[in-house]
Amino acid sequence: MSSSIANETVAATSGQEGFSFYRLVTNIYFLYAVSLCTFFLLWDRVAAWQVFGDSLARPHAVAGKLYDLSQVKFAGTNLAGHIWASTRRVLVGFTLASAIAVPLGLFMALNKYVNAVVKPIFDLFKPMPPIAWVSISILWFGVGEFSKIFIIAIGTFVPCLLNSYNGIRLIEPELYDVIRVLGGNRKDEILQVSFPASFPAIFAGLQISLSIAWTCLLAAELMNARNGMGFLIKRGMDTHQPALVLGGMVLIALMAWLSSLLISRIESRLCPWKRSIDNL
Amino acid sequence: MNPSTDEPQLKILCEDINKTFIQKGHIEVPVIRDINLQVAENEFLVVLGPGQCGKSTLLRIIAGLERPDTGYVALDGFPITGPGPDRGVVFQGYMLFAWRTVLGNVEMGLKLRGVPARERRSVARHYIRLVGLEDFENHYPHQLSGGMKQRVGIARAYANSPKVMLLDEPFGQLDAQTRMFMQHETVRIWEQEKRTVIFVTNNIDEALFLADRIILMEGKLPGRIKQEYVVNLPRPRDHEDPGLLKLRTTIAAATELVL
Repeated sequence: MSSSIANETVAATSGQEGFSFYRLVTNIYFLYAVSLCTFFLLWDRVAAWQVFGDSLARPHAVAGKLYDLSQVKFAGTNLAGHIWASTRRVLVGFTLASAIAVPLGLFMALNKYVNAVVKPIFDLFKPMPPIAWVSISILWFGVGEFSKIFIIAIGTFVPCLLNSYNGIRLIEPELYDVIRVLGGNRKDEILQVSFPASFPAIFAGLQISLSIAWTCLLAAELMNARNGMGFLIKRGMDTHQPALVLGGMVLIALMAWLSSLLISRIESRLCPWKRSIDNL
Repeated sequence: MNPSTDEPQLKILCEDINKTFIQKGHIEVPVIRDINLQVAENEFLVVLGPGQCGKSTLLRIIAGLERPDTGYVALDGFPITGPGPDRGVVFQGYMLFAWRTVLGNVEMGLKLRGVPARERRSVARHYIRLVGLEDFENHYPHQLSGGMKQRVGIARAYANSPKVMLLDEPFGQLDAQTRMFMQHETVRIWEQEKRTVIFVTNNIDEALFLADRIILMEGKLPGRIKQEYVVNLPRPRDHEDPGLLKLRTTIAAATELVL
């Protein structure tokens, strides 16, 4: 029955074939294109008219700068090296933090004694913005890799833990009743309900954590670094090269987007049952 | 207990059940009081009452999910001390495992009891066919309509081969038409796979359509049994049947709230 309805729809729309202005301006892809073209045109004009003096590079200058960077070494490292230096910091800090925070959050939600011990300390640290740790971590660990990884780990820890904790706390209690009436015990409740039901919340936490990780990375690299995308931005600022600053920004955004895409892919692989919701 | 007699065998026995909930730590809310109930083997018993009359609590006590404060509940003469696979429960809110397919949901009880994968698969498929979802066994719950979800709930409870089926307002979330259809399905499934059924509802027509016997609860807390009606009509029943309509008038008159 549904297929016949679909056929009728197709027949109805194909009747209005041909060009019309209304159809063009209501075409989503046309509007996407208009939106992007307007943005880049505006950017280019604002830069060309020197609204911000010489501190805004034109789009093609940014692209050219990125191309140059990929050709020659900059501060002893090529472009891939800078990208990798930053990505490695995020990867290590994020993995370290989530490997501890996710299981800890699950334990806290499942065991009230663990919760009673961990929660007061966690609540103490929770409202602290992660960037506030930058200075103290440099005092403690110097300006090397470890202090950068530390800041990233601190920043990602909180949302990871909160989301895995809430993921279990928000499970409908009657789902546990189902396991019990089917003949299951506490272990079955945890394995068959708690863990799978908390998966989407855990992944939501990982997504939030990841975007915080890139923010923390940038803060750490702006303070002090000899390589990385934050370093490119900082160097661009110090030597007044707006194209370099914007190029670094574009690169960081690109990497943040790619890593978030990776997490989404892993999630849809692991949770094929999740209703797909359009990403913003 | 005694197979030589012609008397129908007693399946569920409730004696002087009382239950009080404590709210906000100190306010006592008596939920059900002095419930005495006997359910025979393969009887279709409907507990009818408005919202907030303790009927779901009674069902949860029989399921073993709540313990009564006083009184005795038994299945086949053995006291009920907790939930168990001999009683299948169908929940109002479906309560399907969103992360498992229809097949995965239906075979969960068998899986928990350690039945090998091949055997539980074939048992699960039997009950999926029984509820008419054979084309949907690899679908996830969010891909199903409300009526289909509750079919999965019914199949999941059946697959564990319970002696008693407990249904807690199973069609409460469905639209009127689907609900009526599911009532027909319930009769069809029950006639194919006879079980002792306790079915809780707030819908008088649903009760009349399904029940061998209707237990009418009082309209307010604490829940008491107000009246009992035997529905001695052949199935499938017609909502317009004069005998049924007469009984409907009697029950409606005994009900203080419009159901």
